[in-house]
Amino acid sequence: MLAHRRILLTAFASFAIMGCDKAPAKGSPQGERVAATAASATNGANAATEEKGAPGKPVKVAFSAPGADHGWLAAIVKNAREEAKRLGDVTLEVSEGATDPASQASQIDALVAGKPDVLVVLPTDGQALTPAAQAAMRARIPVVAVDRELSSPSAYRTWIGGDNYGIGFSAGNYIAEQLDCKGNVVEIQGIAGISVTELRTKGFNEAIKRCNNGIQVVARQAANFLPDKGLEVMEAILQAQKKIDAVYTHDDDMAMGVVAAIQNAKRDKEMFVTGAGGSKRAMDLVKNGGLYRATFLYNPSMAASAIRLARLIGQGKGLRDLTEPEVPSRIQVPATAVTKENVNSFLSFGYE
Amino acid sequence: MNAANAIAPRKAASSSEQVRLRRIQDFALTLVLVLLVVAGGVLRGERFLTYENLKATVTQASAVGILAIGMTFIIATGGIDLSVGSVLAFAAIAGGKLAGSGDLAFIGAALLAGTVAGAVNGIAVAYGKVVPFIVTLAMLTIARGTALWMSDKTPIPVGELETLRWFGAGQVLGVPVPAWTLLLVAAIGWVLLNQTRYGRYVVAIGSNREAARIGGVRVQRVLLGVYAMTGLCAGISATLLTGRLASASPIAGNFYELDAIAAVVIGGTSLAGGKATVVGTVLGVLTFAVIFNLLTLLDMRIEIQQIVKGIIIFAAVLVQRKGA
Repeated sequence: MLAHRRILLTAFASFAIMGCDKAPAKGSPQGERVAATAASATNGANAATEEKGAPGKPVKVAFSAPGADHGWLAAIVKNAREEAKRLGDVTLEVSEGATDPASQASQIDALVAGKPDVLVVLPTDGQALTPAAQAAMRARIPVVAVDRELSSPSAYRTWIGGDNYGIGFSAGNYIAEQLDCKGNVVEIQGIAGISVTELRTKGFNEAIKRCNNGIQVVARQAANFLPDKGLEVMEAILQAQKKIDAVYTHDDDMAMGVVAAIQNAKRDKEMFVTGAGGSKRAMDLVKNGGLYRATFLYNPSMAASAIRLARLIGQGKGLRDLTEPEVPSRIQVPATAVTKENVNSFLSFGYE
Repeated sequence: MNAANAIAPRKAASSSEQVRLRRIQDFALTLVLVLLVVAGGVLRGERFLTYENLKATVTQASAVGILAIGMTFIIATGGIDLSVGSVLAFAAIAGGKLAGSGDLAFIGAALLAGTVAGAVNGIAVAYGKVVPFIVTLAMLTIARGTALWMSDKTPIPVGELETLRWFGAGQVLGVPVPAWTLLLVAAIGWVLLNQTRYGRYVVAIGSNREAARIGGVRVQRVLLGVYAMTGLCAGISATLLTGRLASASPIAGNFYELDAIAAVVIGGTSLAGGKATVVGTVLGVLTFAVIFNLLTLLDMRIEIQQIVKGIIIFAAVLVQRKGA
């Protein structure tokens, strides 16, 4: 059960970089300074100049991302671009638009040919893109993998990603707590048959186990991360189930369809909904209270963090508050529950 | 006049046979529907056989159903439209962009955007003489790309637009507005196809374009009209779906084109053109909606639903072949 938590070190490290991300004002050198201070802990020689906000050694970063057709992926690319702009010493080249592993592999080859200092990859399929990433590593270009994992350690220098199991687990715990371990729950999954979906379901199941069947998953349907599919599926489930206490959804965007179905059926007093991701709209709904009670972070800010990590790797620096002189090899962002109580501290962090 | 004369002999020769054929097809599909309803009644009667559930099912059928009625005309001409799902998203976002100006601005923009996209298809097919499959495949990616680009890949909330919400989620005389809309579009489609000269031209073009042209049918104009009309249908569907969803989504309507084509074909309209039935299309759409509803009530997983849907398509088409 604790396997997904990884070592304390990585969680700690993720807080260190997440901390930098939460508030930096656009265009201000603040973010830069925080990252620079991060380096200063271990890199005494540069520290003095860095603290004054002088840019470090210029780093050329290439980013290969899948074609964004979904709010979360769109935010990934947007965050990476904005972060590179904010960091004065990073030049970023982005290749997006690959829809399948084969086209992304050739995209990566093209990026590698441009000899960047660091390559950031969000793989469409970790297994299939491992050879392309390995080729980059052999060409002495460190690879930072984002979100989806590459299947061999020789394919990446650092991985940063969210916690799919943790999303399910946190959501399960939250719902169990809210319902006092008694009630009917509906689960609206993403795409059937991918690891993201399986992990988010597995984590949820294991969390509600402690209720000894007090919580029943009365319907479990996939809606492919699509709002209109979420609407249709939830409409049918509302016909099937007389009494629903909570709806656990795998995605904030898709959950908007689920919310519309519940409101159209005028059953919004009967149940509550949880999401996943951490979109601005979901956070606004959480803040307003009512039907949308919580969302669990799988925030695309991890792309901004990946750019920062790429920069540190390119400059040969480590992370603030870690004694290691280098960036860790794995960093997992926690699936923090965002509820009415703490939503204010996350609002600026929600993605559009 | 000329046209009517030229087409008349052909029609006379085959009309009684065609009517018989269509009856068999409608009958087969009605039988499938009845079997599904019986199965639903036995398996999950207390939830399935309720007025509330019937309303939900028809509401769900409405978006694809309206697309399918436009598609019936296109397929009747021997064409196809792969772009309707994407055009729906494009129309929704075009409306969403103007959502700040009110309900009417949304609806006007959505209907106009859909019609324009459809007309572009029509111009390329009719005047550019490009195969419909390719034209509408191009439109599929252009319309989806434009929708994503215009929306910055983010859904646009429209919850405050009350008229729009009413279109998607309201009721008149205890019947959901989307159901009324589907009924209205189907009725107009039926009259147009079966009771007007325009409908005869559409079918004539599908059965033999050259003969229709020689007979005096303005083939290009009719084709342009058929594609533009289907684009308008996509705009109507976009309005209903956005109202129901309370937001305009650039990823809405994904694969709706395939659902619409499947419904048209199992309804008995021939993919080769020259034969069309609006009633069959509506039955086809309802069949899919009932399958989806029933399997979700039974909490069947999505992969099982897909298999069952495929089997029904197979079975319906095979039954029709026998009937022919």
